Amino acid sequence: MTAEEQELLIEQVAGAWRPEGDDELHYHKAWHDLDAAGRARAYELARALRPLEAALDPDGLSTTARAVLAKIRT
Amino acid sequence: MDLDVYHPMIAAGDTVAFGRWLAGAEPTVRLTLRSFATVIDVEAVLQESLLRVWQVAPRFVPDGRENGLLRLAIRIGRNLAVSEVRRTKARPADPIDEREPEAPEPAVSDPLLRKQIADCRDKLPGKPREALDARLAAAGGEDDDALAASLNMRLNTFLQNFTRARKLLADCLKRAGISLDAELGS
Repeated sequence: MTAEEQELLIEQVAGAWRPEGDDELHYHKAWHDLDAAGRARAYELARALRPLEAALDPDGLSTTARAVLAKIRT
Repeated sequence: MDLDVYHPMIAAGDTVAFGRWLAGAEPTVRLTLRSFATVIDVEAVLQESLLRVWQVAPRFVPDGRENGLLRLAIRIGRNLAVSEVRRTKARPADPIDEREPEAPEPAVSDPLLRKQIADCRDKLPGKPREALDARLAAAGGEDDDALAASLNMRLNTFLQNFTRARKLLADCLKRAGISLDAELGS
């Protein structure tokens, strides 16, 4: 995997989307393709992105919070 | 701030109140899962943990200390993470801290910072702004393949535009004297 391919996987894993499924936990498929350093970087990027998202949201909610609320309402 | 002020409304099924609780609690719960980041998908565990807080909130009895629901969320997240580690037989890079976590102060929203971030977002060039806005609008409900298709972009192009958007935002904020997390600009 090239460094650029790794970065694009990290960008996907840092997002809040996770697949739907019958079981409880739904990993992002790209997470499995990352090595430990890539997973740690995806975590840190998500941690940095969420406050930014919340700042741009009219209700101050990150995409993680919005995803959780959507699951409650469905 | 004691986020337990929202608990009676959450217990009564008020999703707006739960959203306000989430806004304050999410960063802290995420931070307590950091040591698991190399062996579990923290975002998946975090979302499931927050969902479980909503489910058990009607039965939650405060212990008199501040942020009881936040401390419960931290325990749920940690227990779920440990279960995942056992299930997958993974080994965390860092030792797992088994102590009862102290609830840090929840994040506080700063109106001036929000305005500055919005101003910088408004200055983004077309494609990066489209990618950022699509992610925000989807709110975790659509994957990047679908978002890319909705913008007539290839997945890689969409992701490159999103990367560019966050880096440009970080640069803009830095020029405004606001130093956000270094991860945003890297």
